Amino acid sequence: MNIHTYEKFWLIGAMVLIVAFIATVTYGAAGLGIAMVDDEGGTIAPDEIGDHDKFGDPGVHQVGENEYDVYVHAYTFGYSPDTIEIPENSEVTFYVTSSDVTHSFTVVGTNVNTMVIPGEIAEITAQFDEPEEYGILCNEYCGFGHHDMEAELHVVPETEFDLTELAVDAPDEVDTDDQAQVTASVTNGMLEDLDTTVTLEIGNETVEEDVTVAGDSSEDVTFAVDASTLGDGDHDWTVTVDDYTESDQLTVGTDDDGDSDDGDTTEEE
Amino acid sequence: MRVSKAGLMVLLAFVVPLTVELRTVLAWFNVELTVLESVLVGLAVIAAIVVWATRPPKDEPSAASQ
Amino acid sequence: MSTYVDNFPEEAAIVRKAFYTSFVFLALGGVFGLIQTLHRTDFLRFMDSADYYTVLTAHGVFLVIAFTIFFLVGVFTWAVTTSLDRGLEDLRLTKLWFGLMSAGGLAAAITILSGFVGDAPILGALDADVLFTFYTPLEAHPLFYIGLVVFVIGTWVAGADWIRTWWSWRKDNPNERIPLPTFMVITTMIMWYIATLGVAIAIIVFILPWSLGLVESVNPLLTRTLFWYFGHPVVYFWLMPAYMMWYLLLPKLAGGRLFSDPLARVVFVLFLLLSTPVGIHHQYLDPGISEGFKFIAMTNTMFLLLPSFLTAFTVVASMEHGARQNGGTGYLSWLGALPWRDPAFTGMALAGLMFAAGGFSGMVNAGMNINYLVHNSLWVPGHFHLTVGTAVALTFMAGAYWFLPQLTGNKLWSRPLAVGQTVIWFIGMSFMSNAMHRAGLIGMPRRTAEPQYENFGFDAGVGSVAELDAQIALGGALLTVSLLLFFVVIAMTAFNGDSDYTESNSIPTPLSGPEDAPQVLDNLKLWTILAIVLVIIAYSLPLASIIDGRGLFGPGIEPFDPIPFSVVSTTLELTAEHVTGVIR
Repeated sequence: MNIHTYEKFWLIGAMVLIVAFIATVTYGAAGLGIAMVDDEGGTIAPDEIGDHDKFGDPGVHQVGENEYDVYVHAYTFGYSPDTIEIPENSEVTFYVTSSDVTHSFTVVGTNVNTMVIPGEIAEITAQFDEPEEYGILCNEYCGFGHHDMEAELHVVPETEFDLTELAVDAPDEVDTDDQAQVTASVTNGMLEDLDTTVTLEIGNETVEEDVTVAGDSSEDVTFAVDASTLGDGDHDWTVTVDDYTESDQLTVGTDDDGDSDDGDTTEEE
Repeated sequence: MRVSKAGLMVLLAFVVPLTVELRTVLAWFNVELTVLESVLVGLAVIAAIVVWATRPPKDEPSAASQ
Repeated sequence: MSTYVDNFPEEAAIVRKAFYTSFVFLALGGVFGLIQTLHRTDFLRFMDSADYYTVLTAHGVFLVIAFTIFFLVGVFTWAVTTSLDRGLEDLRLTKLWFGLMSAGGLAAAITILSGFVGDAPILGALDADVLFTFYTPLEAHPLFYIGLVVFVIGTWVAGADWIRTWWSWRKDNPNERIPLPTFMVITTMIMWYIATLGVAIAIIVFILPWSLGLVESVNPLLTRTLFWYFGHPVVYFWLMPAYMMWYLLLPKLAGGRLFSDPLARVVFVLFLLLSTPVGIHHQYLDPGISEGFKFIAMTNTMFLLLPSFLTAFTVVASMEHGARQNGGTGYLSWLGALPWRDPAFTGMALAGLMFAAGGFSGMVNAGMNINYLVHNSLWVPGHFHLTVGTAVALTFMAGAYWFLPQLTGNKLWSRPLAVGQTVIWFIGMSFMSNAMHRAGLIGMPRRTAEPQYENFGFDAGVGSVAELDAQIALGGALLTVSLLLFFVVIAMTAFNGDSDYTESNSIPTPLSGPEDAPQVLDNLKLWTILAIVLVIIAYSLPLASIIDGRGLFGPGIEPFDPIPFSVVSTTLELTAEHVTGVIR
């Protein structure tokens, strides 16, 4: 077979180029450690998502000093959670699955871009250094609302980041001569202890209590409120812990049926 | 004409991807062109090519046009 | 020698039918493309955004399945009969496959276009708003899948028709090398038989029964993987006919001869071997497939650069040879001696050049971890509008300027307009594809009716997103103008009855002919077996792993109607409102 000299050079050049491309990609994989989404994430049937330990309540969990896991449920047409907050300087692993059709989970402006296939769990880990706000979109056609499918990723300064949750248990009504127990449950999702203050504002009064919640656990703070000090009628109250608040109303009435509770924590000041 | 009319048209067509990409390349050197400026650069290159093409060739015709 | 229609009038009639059918689909697909460029850039939205996806399905299927394949079956019929210098074995078989392709194409087209209107009487919702890739659990009407299957079976029968004709020739010419054009057709068809196996299984075993309610669930990753088993080699099914024209026609148009027949055979054998075992490179970001399989797909894909590089050399060398035959001199000035006035030449040359750019953006796509940055972004359509959208489509249009006179005996009507058409396509595609590549790099998604999001924007590096959108719309508009010119020239040529066209239907002998090609290249059995082995190596383990983990039929995955009618007004209603100003 006659191969012209120039063509031989060209052939060699082409092979060199091909090998160079393969080498570049291999360097990215082996040298820089850029891993591809693969089958390590596991599987989950779409109808099991609601009952799943993590996907049933999707969100951010701390799993190491600067390591976080984020569980995301993609569906037509949105993501749950629709706003993901993580701290700067963290290594975040996203676990994403779908309960209906194939979507993507794509953080715009980054290389966090994965297909989300029902039945599969996509696992992808990325390093976030600077505080920044990112958009998340779906780039795999999923139906008529595909272009409305979006979410947000906020990388916040460490000082602004917490995994605190607040739940308040309080009665709707209390007798005039009774005490109302307002119990604030403070959950700390971080691995480190959380030192904070719980504040109750009700009527004209403000009560504060300091509390330390250990890592990955919960503490209850109960305020005993004397209904007589408030007087009859509706009183708005707000419980605040850091940036989290919960508000409702307490009605002080003249009902004869109630038992009096014995609170076991502080009186109001 | 140094090139046939069709050849000239093809040459001018090349100015399009060239100018469009040039804008991106210049940005790497911190030279930012607006759309209007890019268009003007493109038109200038087109004008230069047309001038080159329509001047008579130096010696005998360089190519027989088909 | 005389024209093709003189030598093979019956085959010419079939080829004409095939070409005209392909042009109808080109026209429809092109109109839809224009609508898309105006809608997603927010220049003109006259329909509900949900209907965008119906438009997109039509654009994809009509252009890359119907237009391309109807055209190439015409080219292959021409190639086999011309190079073997004999008619097809049995024209009834020919009419059968053309009928199958037409019936299947029509069925699929009806279901897709049904997405624009409400439910049909008795049959209900016929729609197929699933895009060209029809990923499950998105579901189309069963008729869509049946249409695709019938169409593909038509192409299988076409291959049998050409292979039979070749075998018949071989009996009469036992010791001769396979003529190059026929060699190209046969190798392409063997590749196609291997490639369509995947999508045939996906539809016949899984998706069609599921859409008919015969099975309750599918495994979306499995059907997706079977689709992409086919989805990569299909691009070579489009590309190899274009390459065929660059190897056979381009040197002739340039006034010269093909540089090397043996290397052309090598290129087509390489495509036969490498086209299919690379499909997983479309699934780099899929969960459920291990990184090792993705890496193998990556290395196989990178080697696909080789036949294209070889083609570039041969094509340019052949053009240079032709130019110098016509008096061209110098290192670069010989370019001026090429027949730029000939629209068939100019179109193919521009298409080939644009393919180089498309090939390189394809290498970026192939770069496994680099793919994170571009997957499903607008970069990807930017890439394939250079490859299928120009290298293939423009070559086909340019080829039509040479074929149609051969098929009708009529001279081409208005060479200048035809040349203008090819140049405008090149310019329009430069604008549009460049903007698509850049928009993709900043994160703008593909296949999206409204890539404008409520809570965030895209950060354009140079210029602004508005400029990128404008560039896309401008490119789309120019491409539409080019398409209009094409149809005008074609129509006028078809009716140019009293012109006198006498150019002969012959392909000049190459500079280095088939006698220089090692015999082993013609050993098609060997290459076929090797191709099958490579496919087994690339796919058996990944498929086994997918089936093992999630089952053949998946974990209870039910059909999902992408655009249920209760949600949207029909396009016709909305257009009527828009036009009459009456809102219901």
